[in-house]
Amino acid sequence: MGHEIRDDSDRPVSAPTRRGVANVRLGRAAEEAAARYLEARGWRLLGRNVRVGRGELDIIARRGPVLAFVEVKARRTHTCGSPEDAVSPAKRRQVARLAELWLGARPWALGGVRDVRFDIVAVDLTTFPAAVRHLAAAFTSD
Amino acid sequence: MLASVPSEALTGLEGHAVDVEADVVAAAPSFSIVGLPGAAVQESRERVRAAIVNSSYEFPSRRITVNLAPADLRKEGPSFDLPVALALLQATGQVRRRGAGTDEPRGRCADDERRRGRIAAVGELGLDGSVRSVTGALAIAEGLRRHGATGLVLPAANASEAALVAGLDVYPVRDLREAAAVLAADGDGAGRAAAPDVADLLSAPPPDDTDWSDIAGQSQVKRALEVAVAGAHNVLLSGPPGAGKTMFARRLPGVMPPLTLDEAIAVTRVHSVAGLLPAGAALVTRRALRAPHHTISSVGLVGGGATPRPGEVSLAHLGVLFLDEFPEFGMSALEGLRQPLEDGDVTISRALTSVCFPARIMLVAAMNPCPCGYLGDRERACACPAFRVRQYRSRLSGPLLDRIDLRIEVPRLAPDERRRLDLDETSAVVRARVTAARERQLARLRGTGAYANAHMTVRHLRRLCRLEPDAVSLLDRAYERLRISARACDRVVKVAQTIADLEGAASITVAHVGESLSYRFHGDDLPLG
Repeated sequence: MGHEIRDDSDRPVSAPTRRGVANVRLGRAAEEAAARYLEARGWRLLGRNVRVGRGELDIIARRGPVLAFVEVKARRTHTCGSPEDAVSPAKRRQVARLAELWLGARPWALGGVRDVRFDIVAVDLTTFPAAVRHLAAAFTSD
Repeated sequence: MLASVPSEALTGLEGHAVDVEADVVAAAPSFSIVGLPGAAVQESRERVRAAIVNSSYEFPSRRITVNLAPADLRKEGPSFDLPVALALLQATGQVRRRGAGTDEPRGRCADDERRRGRIAAVGELGLDGSVRSVTGALAIAEGLRRHGATGLVLPAANASEAALVAGLDVYPVRDLREAAAVLAADGDGAGRAAAPDVADLLSAPPPDDTDWSDIAGQSQVKRALEVAVAGAHNVLLSGPPGAGKTMFARRLPGVMPPLTLDEAIAVTRVHSVAGLLPAGAALVTRRALRAPHHTISSVGLVGGGATPRPGEVSLAHLGVLFLDEFPEFGMSALEGLRQPLEDGDVTISRALTSVCFPARIMLVAAMNPCPCGYLGDRERACACPAFRVRQYRSRLSGPLLDRIDLRIEVPRLAPDERRRLDLDETSAVVRARVTAARERQLARLRGTGAYANAHMTVRHLRRLCRLEPDAVSLLDRAYERLRISARACDRVVKVAQTIADLEGAASITVAHVGESLSYRFHGDDLPLG
C-alpha cells in the first residue's frame, strides 16, 4: 500500500507573532539566568538545550555525586500560577522519558553518580530584580 | 544497595510471611512497589516518602524498587508502611543493623531460615512519621512467631495484644525514629512490652450496669434461658413488643461462664482483625453480644468481601448472636447462618484463597407472634388476618428452625408480677449454676471436641446420655402422639441432658424429658424440625 507523500514545504507558515517572539526570548533569557545561577553554586553544566529525539532537555548539570535534569520555567505574572506550577504532569513525564533516553545512550554519565534528580529552576519576573528559585528533586518519574 | 525487613500479611486470621525488600540504585528517580500490592499498599509510597522526610531522614533521589515477597500473595492494607520505610532506610545506609551482613543468610534458602532470629515490623505511618495502629496484631504476632522471627516492632497501641504471644519480643514504637533505633540495636536496650497479666484481666468483675435481677418476674422464661445457656442451645424468643425479649438477650453474656484464656485469645483474634479491639487493650475478656439490625446483608452477617472480613456471626464467637425481629432478616442472610450453626465456623472461599473464621455462637432469635405483635396476648386483641400470620411465620425455613433447640414464649407480665422486685436472683447466682452444669458437660464430653450439650453429635448422644426407663417411654409416647421427627427427638434428649446437668443428676429422668418437651412445643403451630 503506497503512501502519498505530500510535499508541504510551500505551505504557508504562519508568521511569528509578536507575543510568540517575546515568549521565546523570555525563555532563552531565563535559561541563561538559570545556567548562571547553577554555575555560581558549583554545578558543572553537561549540556544546555540538549535535543533528545523530538524533545529538549533544558539543562543537564552535575555537582559531586548528583546528576540533575533541570527544567527551566519563567513567568512574567502569576495570573496563571507560579512558574513552578507551570511544569505540568505531561511535561514532567516528558522530561523523565527524555532523561531515561539520554542516560540510556550514555551509561558512562552515571559514573560516580549517587543521586539522579529532576529539578525545576523557576525564574519569577513578578519582582525586580527577577527571583530565581531552585527546586531540588521537584518530581520523579513514577 | 539492597535491604530487607520481615513482615506479615493476613488472609482472614492466618498469617503469611512477607519479606519487604528495598533496592535503591542511581538512575532516574522513581519509587515503585511490586509484589501484588493492593490500593492501600500503593498509596503507602506517599506516606513513606513524607514520613521519612519529616523524621529528618533523607529520602533518596534514586530509583527505588520495593518488592513484597512472595509475589503471588495479594498484599492489602497499610501495615506495610513501616517495614517499607525501614527497608529503605537500611538500603540507603541511614540505619545500619548491628552485625548485618554476617548473620544474614544470602542467596537461596528457605524463607523461614531467612527470618530466623530477625526482627520484623508492621505499622501504618502518618505523614509526620508517627506510627499508627494496625488491625490483626495478635494474629500477625502469632504468624511471625511460627515463621521464626524473634522480635516484632509494632505500634504502641497494638503492643499489649501482641505481647500475649509467648516467645516473641514485642517492641512498641511511637514513630519511625524509635522503630529505626530498635532495628539498629537489634533489639538491645529497647523497651519491650510486658506480657499482660491475663489472670488479672480475666478475673475482672463484669460491669454491673446490667444484671439478671433487673428483670422482674418472668420466672419461666428465666428458667428456660438458664437451661439454654447451660447447654449452649439456640433459642427462639417469641412475645409481644415490650415484654422483655431484648432485655433478656442483653443479660445473657453475664450469666455465661467466664471465658478461659484460650477462648479469650480466640475471640480477641477475631475482634483484632475486624479492628474492633480498643486501642491499648490486650484481650477481649467478656463474651460478646452482637445484635445486628435486621437489614444486615448476608456478607455483614456471615462475613466476606473482596478481602474476607469476619461477619457478625464470627464477632459473636463464643458469645451471643441476638437477632431481633428474626423473620424480618433477609432470606439469604438467614440461610447463610446454617453452616456456622452446624460447624461452628465459617469458610469463605475466594479465587485465590479460602478463609476460615470461627463462629461458635449461641443464637438468640426474637420475634413477635404475629405482625402486629399481640396474638395470644391476655388483654389486647390481635389485629392480623390469619393469612398474614401464616405469611409472617413462613419466612422462617424449617432447616433453620431445626437448629433452634428451645422455643420460649415471653408473655406480657400481669400487673402484680411486674411490681415484684425483691425476689430475683442476680447474674452471679445464675452464672454459678450454669458454670457447674458446664463443668459436668465438659467432664462427660472429654475427648469429643464439644464443650456443651448443644454441640453433641448423634453418636455422642447415643453413647453418653443415659435415660431412665420411664423417660424413654415418655419420649416414645411423644414420638407417637406428637408426630415429631427422629431428629427432633434427639434434640429433646440434648435439652433434657442439660436440665439433668443443671440439677446434677446422673441420668435423665422423666421430669427432665417432660420439661424439655415443653420447650420444644411452646411455639405451637411453627413448623417443626
